[in-house]
Amino acid sequence: MGNSCRQIGIVLPLGGIMRDLGTLLIMSGFAGAGLTLWLGLAWAPSVSIDAFEAPISQKIFYWHVPSAWAAMIAFTLLFIGSLAWFIKRKEWGWNLHVASSEASLAFGLMAVWSGCIWGAAEWGVPWDWTDIRLNTFALLTLLAIFLVLGRKSQPDGIETRDTFATFGIYGFVLVPITYLATRFWQIRHPGPVVATSEGSLNSDMGMVLALGAISFTMLVIGHTICGIRLTKMESRLIEIQDIMDKEGI
Amino acid sequence: MADTIYLAVAYLGMLTGLAIWTWTVLSRSKNLEARLDAIEASLNNSEE
Repeated sequence: MGNSCRQIGIVLPLGGIMRDLGTLLIMSGFAGAGLTLWLGLAWAPSVSIDAFEAPISQKIFYWHVPSAWAAMIAFTLLFIGSLAWFIKRKEWGWNLHVASSEASLAFGLMAVWSGCIWGAAEWGVPWDWTDIRLNTFALLTLLAIFLVLGRKSQPDGIETRDTFATFGIYGFVLVPITYLATRFWQIRHPGPVVATSEGSLNSDMGMVLALGAISFTMLVIGHTICGIRLTKMESRLIEIQDIMDKEGI
Repeated sequence: MADTIYLAVAYLGMLTGLAIWTWTVLSRSKNLEARLDAIEASLNNSEE
């Protein structure tokens, strides 16, 4: 019994700093996202009525672009976590994989959802199956769905982790393709608007967009930190239960 | 007007998704923390 408690005592401290930091980042991110929403609607200049079919709907841009940006950060973290687990068998790598796959799914769905709504307003159709950017991003989001749901349906183990980590590693190929898609094959999705050879965004619009990007970065990092802590706690709970079972407590 | 409705639907969907997800993560975390505390307390009691 004393032995089991010592073992459990080692694994129980869970780092209140991580919880506080994660929560602080999420709350700050929410505040920044709220401010972005307000500035985008009330302060940022409207786009030219002639350039867009639905100029008011264009204001979704202030959340759509940052959510896609946050999804890309999450997919990059997923890649790092998957590599760390697959090559070095690092426990933190697996925790990062789990947390960032959930973040990828949430932000990926937000970007797809807002994009579909904007597409319906601007193009008259919510989706274009011939557009490379749309479809590679959708594939990335589907990959995140597979990773999150697949992991929940499988018992945890080295084989399961290796399988999902492999998908996390190979799926990352789609990130640079998605990023560069509108530069090489601009079909329907608008091309880059910041610091391009054809000029940049209006400075007020750029400032609101930058605030959105910073806020969503805080949100994705905060959520990933909280997710890592959650995964650690789940693993520790299983570990303690195993010890208790073995010792018949 | 339809333009505004599209914008509202998009923002509401994203806000709701973000809020539900955050709530889920924080409540799962709180729940697990409580379970771990309860296990630790029961082990300490049984040790005494």
